[in-house]
Amino acid sequence: MATEKVKAEITGKVWKIVTQPGQPLQEEETILIMESMKMEIPVVAPVKGTLKAILVQEGQDVSEGQELAIIES
Amino acid sequence: MAFEKYIEEHARRTKKALEMGGADRLAKQAAQGRLNARQRIDYLFDPGTFLEIGMFARGEPREDWDRTPADGKVCGYGRIEGREAAVVSHDITVKSASSSPINVRKMGQVRRMALANGLPLVLLNESSGARIPDTMGAIGTGTLGQDPSQFIRMREIPYVAAVLGPAFGTACWFTQLSDFVVMRKDAQLAISSPKVTEIAIGQKIDPLELAGWRMQAEVTGKVDYGVDTDEEALDLLKRFLSYLPSHHNELPPRTAVPPGADEPAQRLLELVPEDRAKVYDMRKVAAAICDPGTLFPLKDRFAKTAFTALGRIDGRTVGILASNPMFKAGAMDPDSCDKATTFLVLCDSFNVPIVILADTPGFLIGVEGERRKAPGKVINMMSALQMCTVPKFSIVMRKSYGQAYLNMGGTRNTDEMLAWYSADVGFMDPNVGVNVVYGVKREDDPVRFEELKQEIQRDSSAYDLAGIFSAVAVIDPRESRRWLARLLEVHQRRPTRGIGRHLLGGWPTTF
Repeated sequence: MATEKVKAEITGKVWKIVTQPGQPLQEEETILIMESMKMEIPVVAPVKGTLKAILVQEGQDVSEGQELAIIES
Repeated sequence: MAFEKYIEEHARRTKKALEMGGADRLAKQAAQGRLNARQRIDYLFDPGTFLEIGMFARGEPREDWDRTPADGKVCGYGRIEGREAAVVSHDITVKSASSSPINVRKMGQVRRMALANGLPLVLLNESSGARIPDTMGAIGTGTLGQDPSQFIRMREIPYVAAVLGPAFGTACWFTQLSDFVVMRKDAQLAISSPKVTEIAIGQKIDPLELAGWRMQAEVTGKVDYGVDTDEEALDLLKRFLSYLPSHHNELPPRTAVPPGADEPAQRLLELVPEDRAKVYDMRKVAAAICDPGTLFPLKDRFAKTAFTALGRIDGRTVGILASNPMFKAGAMDPDSCDKATTFLVLCDSFNVPIVILADTPGFLIGVEGERRKAPGKVINMMSALQMCTVPKFSIVMRKSYGQAYLNMGGTRNTDEMLAWYSADVGFMDPNVGVNVVYGVKREDDPVRFEELKQEIQRDSSAYDLAGIFSAVAVIDPRESRRWLARLLEVHQRRPTRGIGRHLLGGWPTTF
């Protein structure tokens, strides 16, 4: 079982969290949506697995490289 | 019977060579779910077309003569889907496919003959690296480097590589030189093995971090595809080659167009949101524009903000370069520029017309980018684009701002630039522009901010772009495929029979 950390690819704000811990995820399925540069940018699962934890809250500012979620695959 | 002794000896020696490193080692390789060096060649080439050279080559020291069949690298020529090609297949059962003066001579021969005769070079790589103890000392190491052209890469022929096991030394070096690389997920690609590296640096190393496929696919971008089996790897190599000519003085092959090929493009208005705040996956747009089933992404796990793929329109190979709004809103970072540059070099070198799809808010700016040489990489891409002599077309789909507008084929940086009626072109994102130009922030004076934003955004439409004859046409998105097909028909560089000047042929193979 591998642990995969999902990181922000861009600096912005966490706009909407659309999944919850325990949920199974496909590769490239949306975990949460960020807002940056006036655009809604989905943060997607890099691998197939189960969402273990979400490390941020809606409305929170995040920086590029910041850990947003953990997936178990 | 005359010559009976010779017949018997020839048969015996041939059988021995075909047994490679022996039944035990072959069984071990098979147990790992791998094909052996000769089975890979059988799978790769059309039946009965493999012509082997160097079957009776062997290692130099006398004690190795009987235990180094083909000196560990099976080489020769064969046909792939009817087209002649050349192969080097490393045999891990013979001294771990280590490199030696004799087998390097063989590989050099194949390479030179492939170049001279316009044969794509297929490298089936797994090797422990240089042979020990043969390369030790000044005599051993000084014997290397006999071929002063070994690492020259002018892209006269495609090089494709499959990393099918641990690939160090020459197996790694030639992978670096290749245009297309696939890697088994249990293989390793690095300068030296994790074991040797651990000894050399005195620290424990995670083999996957040093040499694993995901690192190579996602961080360095050297690997285009990770695969589970040898057969998948070989199928991908064949697929890549099917888009390209066998050599740079030939056109890519043209294929038949499947029925219903024009239909997916009719759904482009559904694929791309009208709402500017919403992103979409550019890969779907590219697929809708190409002949069905022909989109073949390259380096898809690397620098995802840029999307690069071979495809076909009307049966003709094209290179699709696009920004993908799904990743970083389509803002190009240094790795994206490298990915784009590498792709432009590939297409231009093999006479593949380029189609650029632009939807980008500009280049990502900041300290991290500058430290990673962002401006240099932006300009590498710009130089490469301007030096391409293949036909180049671009479509401004939605946003295209600033220098990124130019890098993505703006104005005369492509032969013909089209604009979707939704195009929005300007020097920078208006939300940033208001602050930069007028010093007004949205939170301080939202009404004035909005007024100034309207002002800045004036004259940024597709029709403004066409009015000054920057865009040559404003089109409905659903017409994109029809336009591109017709442009490809017109732009065939007839005076040189479609063969470009290949000004990028000698560019680096890694940025």
